[in-house]
Formats: sequence, C-alpha cells, structure tokens
Amino acid sequence: MTQAVRRSGPVAAMRWDGWLPWLWLLPATIVLAPFFFMPLLLLFRNSLNRDDAVALMVPDFTAANYIKALTDPFYLELFSNTIGAALLVAITATVIAYPFAFFIARYARRSLSLVIWAVYMPLFVSVIVRVFGWMIMLADSGLLNNLLLRAGILATPLRLLFEVDGMLIGMIHRYLPLAILPLFNAIQKIPDELYRASSNLGATPVGVIRDVVFPLSIPGVAIGLQLVFAGALSDFVLPQILGSSRFRMLAPAIYTEATTNMSVAMAAALAVLMLVFIIITLAAVSVLLRRFAPWARSV
Amino acid sequence: MVTGASGDSRTIKTALTLYAIAVTAFLLLPLVLAVVLAFSSGNNLQFPPPGLSVQWIGKALESRTLREGFMISAVVGVVSSLISAVAGTAAAIAINHFRFKGRAAAQALLMAPLSLPGIVVGLAILFALPLLGMSSGVLATIAGHAVIGTPYVAYMVLASLANYDLALDRAAANLGAGRFRTFRDITLPLIAPGIYAGTICAFLLSFDNVALSLFLSNGNTLPLRLMQSIQVYADPTVAAASVILILMSLAALPFLERAFRDASTGRAI
Repeated sequence: MTQAVRRSGPVAAMRWDGWLPWLWLLPATIVLAPFFFMPLLLLFRNSLNRDDAVALMVPDFTAANYIKALTDPFYLELFSNTIGAALLVAITATVIAYPFAFFIARYARRSLSLVIWAVYMPLFVSVIVRVFGWMIMLADSGLLNNLLLRAGILATPLRLLFEVDGMLIGMIHRYLPLAILPLFNAIQKIPDELYRASSNLGATPVGVIRDVVFPLSIPGVAIGLQLVFAGALSDFVLPQILGSSRFRMLAPAIYTEATTNMSVAMAAALAVLMLVFIIITLAAVSVLLRRFAPWARSV
Repeated sequence: MVTGASGDSRTIKTALTLYAIAVTAFLLLPLVLAVVLAFSSGNNLQFPPPGLSVQWIGKALESRTLREGFMISAVVGVVSSLISAVAGTAAAIAINHFRFKGRAAAQALLMAPLSLPGIVVGLAILFALPLLGMSSGVLATIAGHAVIGTPYVAYMVLASLANYDLALDRAAANLGAGRFRTFRDITLPLIAPGIYAGTICAFLLSFDNVALSLFLSNGNTLPLRLMQSIQVYADPTVAAASVILILMSLAALPFLERAFRDASTGRAI
C-alpha cells in the first residue's frame, strides 16, 4: 500500500488517493469478510474436527473425516453418483446447446431478441416453478405418459418422477441456458468473412463447422461445460424434489449430515470436497483453454 | 457446384431452425405446464387437466403459510439486494476507477461468491453465526443473500462502467465539482442501468434462493415453503403460486434487458 502511494506521485494529496480505492471497497468488505471469508475458513477448520454422538462437534485436528469420505463405500457411491450425473448433464447440455447456439448466433437475425429472451426467461423464474413443471410433465398421470399411452406406445405409465431419469431431465433443463450463453458469445465473435473465406477456398458447410467454427468456439464449450458441471454437482433442489431416494446426491447428503445426522464435521468435510471438485474443473478448463485456445485470455 | 453448396446450407438452415424451435419449446415447456395447471379443476398433477377453474389461485392466495413465506422472502429480498447494491456498486467503482496494488486480488475475491455452491456457503455461514452473535432467522438470511448478490451487482455495474470515460471525472473536477458532486451528478446517472439491473438480479436470486436459506432461515421463506408443500401434497396450489412468481419475473425482465446488452457488448470483465 505505502509503495503504491509512493509510486503514484510526490504530492501530499495523493496519499489520500492511495486509500481511496480501499474506501470504495469497504462496504463489500463489511459484507464479505464476516459472512463469506471467515465462514469459509471456519468450514475448513471444522472439517478437521470430530463428530460426537453426545457433544456434537469435538475440537480436534484430524483428517479422519476426509479419510472416511474417500474410503467408505457409502460416501464413495455418493461421489460417483454425483460426479457421474454432473458429467452426464454437462455433456448432454453442451451437445444440445451447440447447434442451438450456432443457429441463434448465425441465422436468427430478426428473432434473435425473442430467442435470447426464451433462454434467459427460465433462469429468472423460480427453480421451484421449473421443477414443478417437470413434475407435471413426468408424473404417472402427467403429460408425457398421457401422450405415450394415447399414442399406444406404452401400455402402462412410464415411471420417471422420483427416478434418476426424471432428475437428469430436470437438471439438463435447469442448466441448458448456462451452456447456451457462453457458446453463443463465442460463436457470435466469429467474423462473417471467415465463413465466406473458407467456403471460397472450397470447404463444405460441414468442413467449415468442423475446421473453423468448432476450434474457435472452444472457449464457449469449456466455460459452458464447467458452469453446468459445477451447477449440477452442487444442485440441491433437483435431487431433493425430482430425484430417487436410491440414488443419493452430494448436496442433499451434506444437508442431511449437518441436520438430521448431526454430523457437522463430516458435513464440513463433504462441503470442502465439493469445493475441491469444482476447483479441479476450473483448473482443468484453464489448462484446456491455454492448450487449445491460447487466444482467449480473459477467462 | 455453387448452387449445390447453397442448397446444402439451405437444408442445414431449415434443419437448424426446426431444431431451435424444439429447444426453445423445451426451455419454456415446464413454465407453460405450471401456468396451465394453476387453472386446473382437478386435485393432482393430471395433465391435460380435467377442467378449468380458479380454485387453486384462490387457495394459494388464502394459504397462510404461503402468504407468510412471501412476506419473509420479500423483506429478505429487498433488504439484501439493497445491501448488495451499495456494496457491489462501490466495489465496481474501486475496481474500475483506480489502479492500485492488490486490485486483481480484490477483484477475484469480490467475484468469488459467484463460483462457490450455495450449499457450501450456507453451511459455512451457519458455522460462523455463533461467532457473530447471531442465530438463524431473517437477519442471517439477509446477510447470506447479500453475499451472493454483491458480486452480481458489481459485475453488472462493471459492465456499464466499461465505456465510462474517466476524462468526465477530470472535467467535472476542473469545473470545480468535488468528489461527491462528481459521483452524484456524473458517475451515478451513467451507471444507473447497471445498478438497477444488478439489484433486480440480486433480488430475484434472493427471492428464489434455496441452498442458503436451508441453513440460515427457519424454513419459512417462500421457496422453502413451496418445496415443503410440493413434497407433501403435489397439488396445483404450487402451480397457482408459480403463476404469481412468473408474473414477477416477467415484470423484472424489461429492466434487465438494457444491462444485458451492455454486459454482452462491453469489454470482457
């Protein structure tokens, strides 16, 4: 700080300037220091404590919770369920989003604002409403089963609600906009001349997409994958309402450990592990981008 | 050759158009279903509904638990988004107007709540409450939601500051305006759309929040009440409440549009 003041000039009044940005940062510090940074440190510290049936949480300094979480089959299944579901949702959402984002970036000139509105709209509607919509769709007497039964495709209703499939469909719907928007941004930046130049040089439409559009859209793909993966990995509402009790997911498990099971130290360790998974994907994305899209610096 | 290629791209375009319509329908479908079911005369999730009625709208408006939840969520949303507005706007100005040591770190820390899962932040704040002399309830929920809202406001304000010319500040100073007047008469009007949009975003996020409220409230915010009633009854009351929530979001969208345009055309942040 004092260095910055010295560098910024010899005038005495500049000393006040050195403090000025920190003054502007003060309100955010008052909010974030006690209610974000201190709690996160405490979360990490508590994950090293011991849970006790009688005394709740006993101060300790042990990795026991982490060892248990990473060796006990019960928790291992929890992680493989959650990471598997999140990967599946991230990849599916990106595959669905890609042609859509390409279309709105390239062709939807007049209807662009309408389509963008349709992408943003679900994001601003309560997630409870969206989940409820899927319950209506997937219920035994819901829309999908009604259609399939009437069309004679099914003889008995398909069981989707409160099953893994229904939860995955709900998750793909919830996070699809997060895959579409970064892709749209990336593809929109590709100049028209590149398309014309490549087809003048004899590239087929498929060749243009494979060799020109796709490599340039890698930042959008990577960011979308990461956002959807992180969202699905930490989702509470979807597994809780649409999910199956036989397919346990991490976020509801953290809540159950902390409340019903009174294992707060274990809950803290699971929460830290969730953070670690998300940090790993963030790091993977930045490595991937440096390797395949070195021009995209500001990510 | 040439006609063949353009014929190809026309086929691709038609296929993409149909695909885009299908994806748009998929995105909007659950919202439409919830709205239609709100006017069902049946008492379960049967779709298409057996008949039409407004009984569930009436039931939702009469429900004491939902009304109480709505009031609590409204208070938490308004207060926490106003706190976020002040903290986020001021922080955005610090990041945009000044070059100081630790600026990059300050920006990263400011945006950190954006990439952390709510369930982790909620549990962490729950641990900290005793140290802060607080317990779960409306105040704790407001504080938690303000944490999530602050980086959103900062992001939106930074977007509207992207094209802000600092020469304006110097011109104002040369003309004799003090720092406060410069801020009030020059800076504030120019970044107002960003502040509005960020604050509305923060409000909607708070109003819809589950993961933090789970730990910090006493289970009485509107989303938690709706979740409980979905899990117990699964009747159209929730659909009726959904209509009200969708109308609220629709009312907010026009305010957000301009800021989103700023955010998508402005410099990368």
